[in-house]
Amino acid sequence: MKVSSTNNNSISTSTLSKFYRNFRAVNSLTIDVSPGDIFGFLGPNGAGKTTTIRMLCGLLSPTSGYAKVAGFDIVKDSLKIRSIVGLLPESSGFYNWMSAEEYLLYFAALYKIDTHIGKKRAKDLLEKVGLATKSFVPISYYSRGMKQRLGLARTLINDPKILFLDEPTLGLDPKGQQDIQKTLLELNREKKVTIFLSSHALSEVSSLCNRVAIVNRGRLVAQGSIEDLRALAGGSSGLVVRILNSPSAQQELSSLPYRIQTNTTDNNRLIDVKVSDGVSESANDIIDRFEKAGLQIYEIRRMGMSLEDVYFKLTEAKKKEDQQTHPEAQQKPKSKEEQRPRHA
Amino acid sequence: MLEIYQREFSGSFYSWRGGVWIVAAALIFSMVAYLLLTDKELSLLDQGEMLFTLAEVIIALGVVMSATSASSSISGEIESGTFESLLLTPVTHRQIAMQKLLSVLTVWAILYLVSIPYLVVVASGTHLALSAVLYVGLYGTLLVTGLSLISIAISARLKSSKSSIMTTLMIVLILLAPSLFFATSLKKTDFGLALESINPVSQSFNSLDSVLVDNEQALSLQVDHIWPVVVFVLACLLVFVFFTRQFEVKSAE
Repeated sequence: MKVSSTNNNSISTSTLSKFYRNFRAVNSLTIDVSPGDIFGFLGPNGAGKTTTIRMLCGLLSPTSGYAKVAGFDIVKDSLKIRSIVGLLPESSGFYNWMSAEEYLLYFAALYKIDTHIGKKRAKDLLEKVGLATKSFVPISYYSRGMKQRLGLARTLINDPKILFLDEPTLGLDPKGQQDIQKTLLELNREKKVTIFLSSHALSEVSSLCNRVAIVNRGRLVAQGSIEDLRALAGGSSGLVVRILNSPSAQQELSSLPYRIQTNTTDNNRLIDVKVSDGVSESANDIIDRFEKAGLQIYEIRRMGMSLEDVYFKLTEAKKKEDQQTHPEAQQKPKSKEEQRPRHA
Repeated sequence: MLEIYQREFSGSFYSWRGGVWIVAAALIFSMVAYLLLTDKELSLLDQGEMLFTLAEVIIALGVVMSATSASSSISGEIESGTFESLLLTPVTHRQIAMQKLLSVLTVWAILYLVSIPYLVVVASGTHLALSAVLYVGLYGTLLVTGLSLISIAISARLKSSKSSIMTTLMIVLILLAPSLFFATSLKKTDFGLALESINPVSQSFNSLDSVLVDNEQALSLQVDHIWPVVVFVLACLLVFVFFTRQFEVKSAE
């Protein structure tokens, strides 16, 4: 299926909702993912992450709201969306009697990829995910990690423009996790694939993603860059400059144009200088200023809340806010009349 | 175009189980044919009646095999986690369901081909062989198609192999019971007659009885029996179309 090249790789949703009788799986979700983003989608279990991904891939119809993937409406154009996206679900099943190569060729055929191209692509992908030497072994003999790699290869068989990954490294050993992360970064950098990554591994999201959305109970808690979220959570994002203590150190520090806090450590030998929020200069400029002031830098590190801290702070804050503002509306379904039409 | 059909078919027959089904069916046909031709009491039956009994066995086995196979065709994929990846491909949901139907019908086609020599042997010495082969083919195909259509619809709707196999077998049992298990006296009551008139399996068996035992082989003489079976297939088609227009895999699954 040919897709117009004018379509970009973005994802946008507007008040997207999915209700199952009296359960709001996704509730008025509005997010934007720009082309080329590696977008982290975070939330506790049951937050609606998988449901959102399934709606965006055209596997589920929304109850209300709308969304576009690569410029295509998820309801009207689900067939077009399916031909240009790839989804690696949390747990995939496989046709265990097939070999990895047969499996990939089967999916290549379903995507109507020319046999010759399909064979070459399957071979390249098996090489890429490290299964080339086991390509003729029945899948039933594969370990979980190998199956996950094969799942990733299947997800890439149609050369997707947008990749949805639902817990891609769940249950994998550190090497397996690292390999998948490396493959994702390569795809994003070399092929400009937009990646929508749902994960509980916050360190993974933190190291891979340039933008993040946090959802809880089907609702958006926050979205933005990790720095934006850190700021939203009220976390500091300055620098800690550890300097050697000297009789004149305090005086020299007071000449710096920053709001600083100091703390002496290591038997008064060192001083930790926290250069607080609002510092717009680069770390190099800050180091320059310290050196010009005659301070001897021992070490320097970025100070700030981890993504984990941000995540817990924001989800807890949102939970409290919801309980205060809508104590009666917790997970209560709207009546059919109240629900917005799908394409408002 | 027919990738899912090919994969279904190779999946069914790749393992030894696929082949065993056909061997088991052949053994059943052999046993029935052997008993009909050699057993002291059964061999006293008129040859048309022997042929009719074998035809009943072939159709009943075909219906049970294809309905069981169809009833797990979608739910089985949902349970094994392969359905989501299938739905992600640019193949329409209707195409997926149709190819699965085709795969089930192929199983019936193989079973039918295996049964032909048995029909010919039991009919040897009479002029009934061709009629037996054609009418078993006609009614078998119609019944298998109808029940496969409804079984796939049930499989898509219930999303659980256990529930869909049980439901399908219940339907098959309800359809087969009047012909196979009801006493003749019960069949002749008003209730029995009403039930027979709307039961496609009873209509098929009555028609086969008329062709093979009563020697009414012309198609025109069987129209009254054929149309209820065709109506049944059309009703099953409607159910199939309705339940396979859109598959959804919920998060909880």
